Amino acid sequence: MKRSETEGKHRMSTANNNNVSDRQPLPPPTPERRFSEQAHAELEEIASHYPERKAACLPALWLAQREYGGHLTPAALQEVADNLGLSYVEVEGVATFYTMYNTRPRGRHHLEVCTCLSCAVNGAYDIVHKLEHELGVHLGGTTPDGEFTLSEAECLDFCGAATVMQVGDHYFTQLTTENIMGLIDELRGSENYTPAKLADSIVKILQPGSSLTGGGSYTPDSLEQPAGPML
Amino acid sequence: MSENKLTQTDATLNPPTTDLVNIKINGVAVKVPKGENIIESARRVGVDIPYFCYHPRLSKGDAANCRMCLIEVASTAPDGSVRKMPKPQAACTMPASEGLVVETETPAIIKDRKGILEFLLINHPLDCPVCDRGGECPLQNNTLFYGPPTSRFIEEKRHYPKSYPLSEHVVFDRERCIQCARCTRFTEDISGDSQLGFLKRGADIEVGSFASTAYQSKFSGNVIELCPVGALLSRNYRFKARPWDLLTQKSICTQCSNGCNIKYDYRVDKIQRVNARLNEDVNEEWTCDRGKFGHDYISADSRLREPLVKRGGKWHPISWTEAYALVAEKFKAAGSNVAGIGGANATNEDNFAFQKFFRETLKSSNIDHRLGAYQGPGAGPIFSRLGYHTTGTTIAELESAKTIFLLGTELADEQPILFLRVRKAARFKGAAIVNALDRAVADTTSASDFADVDLLYRPGTEVALLNGVLNVLFSKELVAAQDGLDFSGLQSAVAEWTPEKAAAETGVSAESIVRAAELLARGSVAVIAGKTVTEHAYYTDIAAVLANLVIAVGSPAGLNIPVTDFNAQGAADMGVLPDYGPGYTPVASAGLNTRGILQAAASGSLGALWIVGAELLEQYADTKLAESALENCQFIVMNALSLTPTASMADLILPVASAAEKDGTVTSCERRIQRIYRAFDISGNVKPDWLVFTEVAELLGGGAPYVSARDIWRDIAQTIPTHSSITLKSLGESGIRWQYAHPAPKPTVAAAPYKAPAAAGTSRA
Repeated sequence: MKRSETEGKHRMSTANNNNVSDRQPLPPPTPERRFSEQAHAELEEIASHYPERKAACLPALWLAQREYGGHLTPAALQEVADNLGLSYVEVEGVATFYTMYNTRPRGRHHLEVCTCLSCAVNGAYDIVHKLEHELGVHLGGTTPDGEFTLSEAECLDFCGAATVMQVGDHYFTQLTTENIMGLIDELRGSENYTPAKLADSIVKILQPGSSLTGGGSYTPDSLEQPAGPML
Repeated sequence: MSENKLTQTDATLNPPTTDLVNIKINGVAVKVPKGENIIESARRVGVDIPYFCYHPRLSKGDAANCRMCLIEVASTAPDGSVRKMPKPQAACTMPASEGLVVETETPAIIKDRKGILEFLLINHPLDCPVCDRGGECPLQNNTLFYGPPTSRFIEEKRHYPKSYPLSEHVVFDRERCIQCARCTRFTEDISGDSQLGFLKRGADIEVGSFASTAYQSKFSGNVIELCPVGALLSRNYRFKARPWDLLTQKSICTQCSNGCNIKYDYRVDKIQRVNARLNEDVNEEWTCDRGKFGHDYISADSRLREPLVKRGGKWHPISWTEAYALVAEKFKAAGSNVAGIGGANATNEDNFAFQKFFRETLKSSNIDHRLGAYQGPGAGPIFSRLGYHTTGTTIAELESAKTIFLLGTELADEQPILFLRVRKAARFKGAAIVNALDRAVADTTSASDFADVDLLYRPGTEVALLNGVLNVLFSKELVAAQDGLDFSGLQSAVAEWTPEKAAAETGVSAESIVRAAELLARGSVAVIAGKTVTEHAYYTDIAAVLANLVIAVGSPAGLNIPVTDFNAQGAADMGVLPDYGPGYTPVASAGLNTRGILQAAASGSLGALWIVGAELLEQYADTKLAESALENCQFIVMNALSLTPTASMADLILPVASAAEKDGTVTSCERRIQRIYRAFDISGNVKPDWLVFTEVAELLGGGAPYVSARDIWRDIAQTIPTHSSITLKSLGESGIRWQYAHPAPKPTVAAAPYKAPAAAGTSRA
């Protein structure tokens, strides 16, 4: 960008700002307790793996995301902090640091299109644009009916079957602009509620003796039947 | 410059070990303690390493994130060959080790610093002309000395709201933040409320409080001084002045008895801001919010500037001569049927002149500075057994306690600086904290957050709780035998107080009582008792049992029942007590205490009452009695700063100087005598209290004519044996804690009876 182009845009916003902004800090959120007994048991199980409870923060946030219906509200962060003996802002710092925790409500299905190298050369951005156009949302947006949230994902480690999209626990592979809308229609009709499920599989990883994941690899033709290797 | 204080090494956080290592800094060989960080080591040889995030009082957890202190290091092999580390290292986390070779001014480092500063300035708005920090800003200074003259960044800087209200006192300019993590570490390490943290990441990273709620802390003002840029700003001081236009005077905070060292920064005879002044023995470099933001009253428009007399229900300004004549007339007529209340907020010199005026000129001992139920120094029930009236431990000594027992106190509120030391002891020194209080505290800054044992007892059951603890100490044989001390009487007195019985009485679990006793048995105990104890109807009993406790655990010098008002300790030392003269010498015939004086005034029998700045209507517990006394007293003269509710019920008001307008000394709750200095005069005709008493004494014929506060100090030193060796000069920068002349008495053990509270919640006086 040339200097002349930036000059017009640059504003010194301090100049006429003698007063503190009208925006007042929010009142403290009302504490909620939504962890089920099972969730508490899971949390204790996870915490027992570590020398200090603080270390269980990440899986605890997954649990909270599941227990609070798909995204982390301030109350969810408080419940995690209270359970682990951490400060509220520390837990919020963790939750906002990682992109896979939802701090805002997400749609019933979270569409994460891989746009890394292999998928990109196989037309990932065509799919993204198609979805944006058909669903009427931009990347990061949620459809007004609350069905879909569309976002970009970094490499999903399934390059052999590019282009890949992750929806909840499921990988959909070999997507094209032709078959993508069929998948969307199938998802729209499905009973599944996908965004929070990943929490289950992540948490399960930590349970000894269990299989590593609840997810699988799917092609659009085999939505009902898991196929392909486990992740 | 507020940054100067950071150049002090905190010897307690970085204890100089006996283990010294040889290192070389820029070719200069030096012996430094093993493990010391290189910023501190470099200081020893006069080498400055620039930094932003490093702070000797904060933990190293998030340090080394500003990258400003990069240095080149090499190690010396046994054969003498030097191996250079390939990449620059952060000096603030680099421990000194044998044979370390440090270079701070190599071409590579000079280039690194330029690079770091160019990066830091990419998103910094460079709005220095409107920034409060301009002129005292580490970012400006480091850029001047180490930075690049130009930037290659021509893109648009990021923008955020310029004035985000973080808390009641702190405004946050997110654009200026360089993410050094000093404020976040402060809330975690020092104030202990963990209110600030980093949110998001990468280019979006920002300092914030939880869920955009207000940053609530009793110590929030410190982050303004800690911030190395102008990101955290004082709401009051914002846009008020340029630092180089401010004059500075040293003083002592008047908001409580802790004796924090502060600086008044003032301009045109108006205080613009209050900053902390370094005193390792007292406040280190911190202030509480009450201290930092509570001095507006000094420059308030409501300050009185002329004496006022009430005629026909209205106030009329009069001259000092007329006012003095009126006072002399009324006090002469009343003879010795006069009384004085107050002095807890005045200097030692004021109080000495006050009591001298009453005792020598008016021949009356009806003076008292105490407004609360706490009789504190003077009538202290612990004096005869432990040898001190209020505090056995200094503030700094709290750090070395192994166990700190807080009883009945919201410490962060009542004694903020003691709270910070307790927090420091718990966080950095491994002290165990036992916190006992009769109510849950909702505050964000509270000792219960980091206490090892939190005892929530039923109001009024302190003695039962303490007896329970003593019982465990004896039954588990945790009390070591002490020479010449017979615990058998106490042991049998508390034998019935098994943990189970104490638990049933107090509502605390028996396990917690046992755990508390075990922690207290570790020795080196400091006890801090607060308002809930001092204002208790059974205060004397609780104090007696506390004395038993500290004797039993072998820390007879560990009991602290500190006063709360600014100079209440000094007023007592100076003899503003009905039964004790200066230096706690008993007087021949004791006068009336505050209650007695108010009762006499209420009955109309008191001839004249002099109130020295005491807000009776607000501070005296029995408001009805205070009101009736103020209404019915024949004549009331009050030394006041402004027309407060109490002052408006007086007959004559004398406008006196505030702490910023007079010289003198004050004595903090730990008996530390420190100086305050006159910063400026407010326009108007105000006089320090001591001058008022001196001039009236002269009119009434009597009393030594003092011409300065220094004069009075000389008299104090001659009168009070414990102060005799203290000169104003010897007080120096950090003050002197006066010591009792008598040797500590042999501790005695005496069981105290337990009186059960009539009903929950009604027992407090």
